[in-house]
Amino acid sequence: MWSVTRQTQELTPLLALCLLATTVPTIAAEPDFEKQVVPIFQQHCIRCHNDSTKDGGLSLETKQGALAGGENGRILMPGVAEESLLLDYVVGPEPEMPKKGEPLTKTEIETLRNWIKAGAVWPPAVRIQEAQLNDNDWWSFQPLTQPPLPELTDNEQQQVRTPVDAFLLARLRKAGLNYSPPADRRTLIRRVYFDLTGLPPTPAEIEQFVQDSDPRAYEKLVDRLLASPRYGERWARHWLDLVHYADTHGYDKDKLRENAWPYRDYVIRSLNEDRPYAQFIQQQIAGDILNPFSQDGVSATGFIVAGPFDWVGQIEISEKLIEKKITRNLDRDDMVATVMNTTVSLTVQYARCHNHKFDPISQEDYYSLQAVFAGIDRAERSYDPDPETASRRKTLQTFLEQSQSQHQRLDAQIRKRGGGKLERLEAELKRAMNAKQGQGVEYGYHSQVEKSDKTPKWVQLNFKQPVTAEKITLIPAFDNYNNIGAGFGFPKRFRLEVSNTSDFKSATTIADHTQQDYPNPGTSHIQTDAGQKKFQYIRMTATKLAPRSNDFIFALGELQVFAPDGKNLSSQAQVTSLDSIEAAPRWSRQNLIDGKYYQSLEFYTDLSELKQKRDDFLASLSTGEEKKSLQQLSAKIQQLQSNLKKLPDPEKVFAAATDFPAQGNFRPTKGQPRPVHLLSRGSEKAPIREVAASAPNLIDGLPGNFPLRDPDNEGARRVALAHWITSRNNPLTWRSLVNRVWLYHFGKAIVDTPNDFGKMGAQPTHPDLLDYLASRFRDEGQSLKDLHRLILLSTAYQQSSRTNPAGSELDGDNRLLWRMNRRKLEAEAIRDSVLQISGKLDLEMYGPGDRLFVLEKPQHSPHYLYRKYDPATAERHRRSIYRFIVRSVPDPFMESLDCADPSQLTPKRIETLTALQALSLLNDQFMISMSVFFAESLEAQSADLTAQINHAFQTALGRSPEPDELKILQTIGAQHGLKNVCRLILNSNEFIFID
Amino acid sequence: MDRREFLLSAGGGLGGIALASLLQNEPLLANPQTGTHILHHPPKAKRVVQLYMSGAASQCDTFDFKPQLIKDNGNNWDPGEQVQLFQSSPGKTMQSPWKWKQYGESGKWLNECVAPLGDCVDDMAFIHNMVSKSNVHGPATFMQATGFILPGFPGMGAWISYGLGSMTDNLPTFVVLPDPRGFAPNGAANWSAGFLPASNQGTMIRPNSKTPISNLFPPENDFVTRNSDRDVLQALKQLNQQHQQTRAGDSRLNARIQSYELAAKMQLQAPEVLDLSGETKSTLQRYGLDFVDFEVQEGISEAAEIAYFGRNCLVARRMLEQGVRFVQIWSGADNGHPRRNWDSHEDIKRDHWPLGRGMSIGASALIKDLKQRGMLDDTIILWTTEFGRMPCSQGSKGRDHNPFVFTNWLAGGGIKGGTTYGESDQWSFKPADPANPTMCYDVHATILHQLGIDHEKLTYRHNGIDRRLTDVHGHVIENILS
Repeated sequence: MWSVTRQTQELTPLLALCLLATTVPTIAAEPDFEKQVVPIFQQHCIRCHNDSTKDGGLSLETKQGALAGGENGRILMPGVAEESLLLDYVVGPEPEMPKKGEPLTKTEIETLRNWIKAGAVWPPAVRIQEAQLNDNDWWSFQPLTQPPLPELTDNEQQQVRTPVDAFLLARLRKAGLNYSPPADRRTLIRRVYFDLTGLPPTPAEIEQFVQDSDPRAYEKLVDRLLASPRYGERWARHWLDLVHYADTHGYDKDKLRENAWPYRDYVIRSLNEDRPYAQFIQQQIAGDILNPFSQDGVSATGFIVAGPFDWVGQIEISEKLIEKKITRNLDRDDMVATVMNTTVSLTVQYARCHNHKFDPISQEDYYSLQAVFAGIDRAERSYDPDPETASRRKTLQTFLEQSQSQHQRLDAQIRKRGGGKLERLEAELKRAMNAKQGQGVEYGYHSQVEKSDKTPKWVQLNFKQPVTAEKITLIPAFDNYNNIGAGFGFPKRFRLEVSNTSDFKSATTIADHTQQDYPNPGTSHIQTDAGQKKFQYIRMTATKLAPRSNDFIFALGELQVFAPDGKNLSSQAQVTSLDSIEAAPRWSRQNLIDGKYYQSLEFYTDLSELKQKRDDFLASLSTGEEKKSLQQLSAKIQQLQSNLKKLPDPEKVFAAATDFPAQGNFRPTKGQPRPVHLLSRGSEKAPIREVAASAPNLIDGLPGNFPLRDPDNEGARRVALAHWITSRNNPLTWRSLVNRVWLYHFGKAIVDTPNDFGKMGAQPTHPDLLDYLASRFRDEGQSLKDLHRLILLSTAYQQSSRTNPAGSELDGDNRLLWRMNRRKLEAEAIRDSVLQISGKLDLEMYGPGDRLFVLEKPQHSPHYLYRKYDPATAERHRRSIYRFIVRSVPDPFMESLDCADPSQLTPKRIETLTALQALSLLNDQFMISMSVFFAESLEAQSADLTAQINHAFQTALGRSPEPDELKILQTIGAQHGLKNVCRLILNSNEFIFID
Repeated sequence: MDRREFLLSAGGGLGGIALASLLQNEPLLANPQTGTHILHHPPKAKRVVQLYMSGAASQCDTFDFKPQLIKDNGNNWDPGEQVQLFQSSPGKTMQSPWKWKQYGESGKWLNECVAPLGDCVDDMAFIHNMVSKSNVHGPATFMQATGFILPGFPGMGAWISYGLGSMTDNLPTFVVLPDPRGFAPNGAANWSAGFLPASNQGTMIRPNSKTPISNLFPPENDFVTRNSDRDVLQALKQLNQQHQQTRAGDSRLNARIQSYELAAKMQLQAPEVLDLSGETKSTLQRYGLDFVDFEVQEGISEAAEIAYFGRNCLVARRMLEQGVRFVQIWSGADNGHPRRNWDSHEDIKRDHWPLGRGMSIGASALIKDLKQRGMLDDTIILWTTEFGRMPCSQGSKGRDHNPFVFTNWLAGGGIKGGTTYGESDQWSFKPADPANPTMCYDVHATILHQLGIDHEKLTYRHNGIDRRLTDVHGHVIENILS
């Protein structure tokens, strides 16, 4: 189990001599170093005391290191056990070492003692390293071949509808069990509808199936449902559980991910089209490389990036901080876990800090997988789904670049003639522009935000002593918040007053715009003649505030007070105001007098004069012919640009991206992979060496290393991993997938841990069945729909779900499938069914997610308010697969019904039954309003209560009520109305559990 | 899911009686009457209150007294190494805007900003060398809440609910009282059940809201009345029982019938717990609640902080009395504008004063009130925040993030009062002994220990790994145990 690397087998003669000399007296007790001593170090010491971590300054990797000792000096005195600190550390009732884990046993301590006594023999070639499992002798790593069908008795043979039955029956026979009787058709149609489409059959569909005399009626039904678009919508949800898909980033702020949905649509479409599984996986890992110009290729890679995105860590944190590296490491970790857990059911992510403790996956293997994703980020990217558009865009862009460079060359030639004079002119212009344009981050003064524009607000300058002013200048603020920009927060109505008391009880008004709205001044400055007035205080009062988004404010860039000598006095004043948001650095009272404000280019005549001068000089430098060429080139550039604009807009999708507009500290790799290091204990502070992209070497006949022509080509890395995963020789992939499909059909998987086929996972209950399904799936077209047929048409699937004494006695958990499992409906199936039953389900497919909440404050940290969303008045209700899924704040209704948490990979949902779940189904706004719609639709069909109840039962439960049930519901209906009957039926066990 | 797994998952929310009836033949519940089944060793405490200051409360303006900062105030701050801050470069050394004073027999120094806790210091144990793995709000908030910097892990309350189950049928086991202004970073993911059964997740209660517990009662409508509900639930039970009769051997069907009965009990109990009208005037005053109904504001004000936090503390006490096991109270919301949490980059004085007063009045009232009722002995109170703040200014009147040192304090439940464990350095910049910091793992391990749980043994197998609240870390801090 341990790995000891050894360069040479022979000991040097000198060492052998020493060995001989010291070992003679204690030959009986001398332990074998490699067999007895190395495992002790390996088990207890090496994790902290190796060459890379060196805790306490000590490494026990080599003899040299061991002899050198650590911070506390030497630890090993060959031949003298009493003086070797090493023993002191590990001996005693509460030994100092090892810090973690079990103390050494007495035998182990004796072994060490004897080894030291015997001279601490340690061949120099022996290097001790952390144990790495390389035991590939595990069921899931074995090659996949199709097992023969088990032999059955004639009696059993008659029960076989598909090969699935042969394997199950053989196993049942061993346990002394047999199948249960078949379910009746009414039960069967409800079962298969929910299973394949997540919706109940309508009463008409049930009657038709129950009456159908065709012996192939069930087969036809299965085919019809597999062909229904509802199938893809239902089964896409299973896949999205696995990949933790959501429409927001998660973490702090949890910002919206507006264009995640094309990936969700890709999954639905692929399932409905029954895309071969290898292609499905390849597209999701490297579709942007394999099919760049298609609707599918790019959006498919939404798979890799479906998980959370640490917005603050990626965008706000500076490149210099170690947190940046940690953020990226964890980001890639999520990609690796998503891809590997989902496709090959290997928990490789547990080799991030140390070698995998149970499976043969080393830290190096793990970081090599991180390197596969080192060139991509989670970001919104654009692409042309139409290959023609894409190629046309490319051509136009090439021509454009050519013309631009021609233009540039000619222009440079001409400019050269301008010599020093032109340079001086340009420099002057540049200086002027830099000085005049734009603004710093100090915007100005900003009042508190108000709900109404009628709250007066004031801000004033307080001078230490009275001043004489010639002119007052108001400079509006500029802030692109809400796309307002120039004139931001400038009040609709206001007045300017001066006074000699700070409370303005007696004041002189010098400008009054309180009677009618003042047009927004934009960037222009407003000057008021102060008529040489002497005052100590000047106040601007906004009597009608400026609108912002849904609220109102008063903001001002600068308030300047000019003395008769033209000097601005305002910086001598102190600023006070009724209130202020004081959000430094942008907004503070002090910013009102700091001389920093937004200045637009057009505002300065001297600047335009300067520009004119430069242009005139430039024109004098070229010949008529050159001017003509320049003009022609400019026209061509314009033409090309306008042609580019005429192309259909590129599509946007949140996907694996190498190129996207930089945002803060989040910059694209442009395809150049970032270096990935093997990290000691997973710490970015302790990189050991850079690793190359590769897959693990744990399957015979399937090498993990990638034959890449250009190892720096990030796309090639992903393509290589996709091929490794979908290789015929990778048994994990095919076993993993059929096991998942089995789980969703039967409610229990063949391998109970669908994301973990390693040694901590479960073993298959029916290994031959698993291999049979996996190999047929792999070899016969990789069609999911064929796989469904193989399972759904089996006798096993069509059994009754009722229990029997023999079965519950011998196999209470029904691992062997002597009956069908009763299904508890998932959150989505409940919500969609309620919608359908109430006549409110809108079957429109695809597109941006439906927001079942009200979004507030989206600029910074969005608030997702579910309780403000009213299903009763919502425009339309689509299937739950089209919900806009928020990571930080899950929909409380769906969450109470155990929907998947998008913060984690969910191979199998946990079922709960809680009081809060009961309260959700009884009282949630959704259930209350749908009960009303349900009742209304029943009332529209009949005025008779009994008929209404009958119809309600048929629609919701697929059968007529028994007389006593009818009586109970009639009483409720008569006393409390039909809506209460509807609410009751939607809360019944029979509605939630499918036989 | 096998039968046992299912029953356990149902149990967290169903409570002791449901568990007892479903698991009666299984040894785990040999003694359901005690309310708490002993998991690993006899417990010292039964309940926990976690006070969570969102945005990163400053340790050097509240509980961690550093004379050096007063001495060096306004001078260049030189810790002898290059310091990379979250969003700024280090400014001058900055003392707290308020005075410090010693309190209690232990002589603990507290800042004026949290002076109302002065009466309680002899019941409190302070840890001043807390360290976080992240200086980013989202991951760091996860860490103190769940022990991990990644999403997807269960909150401490969820683990405790999973480990110990419920003490009441009528209320949730793990209750969360968010800041009325909104959620902290990561939102509800801070109290999710993660991979544990969803029944262990925190149930959010908003005492200020018209509907404090979502779906406890239906929204306004024209057909559900008290009478109709009584009859509908009775009829539902009849139908469900009939349905169950022909489907023997599926315990889920009965569990679901019971869940409706528990829901009805919760409908009776929860409004009672939230109704503060029976509290005496002196109790209300102790919590700073001269008035209990108020509009929630956008920003920060002293009156609002006292009202929000005091009310949540009082509601917490009432919940604990009725058998809720874990209450998490949040002070501070998201990082929106205007400032509505402890993330005082701009101005410590402006924001920490009202937040500190509100928090300390409520927390002090809670400690004293529990003590008076004899409940402090078996209730642990933990005060925490995602990381600390720098001893220097960030060029403003505010302080930048400090992941290297911050403060936690605990009280009650067998915690040794009047103790200080783990010093920070002379500036409150890093631990005095950088090699031996305290991390959330240790605090979590200590709390689990007091509840009778060995933190290394409370595990849950998820995706091929046995997960723990304390990951692969954690030592019980014996020094703060009495």
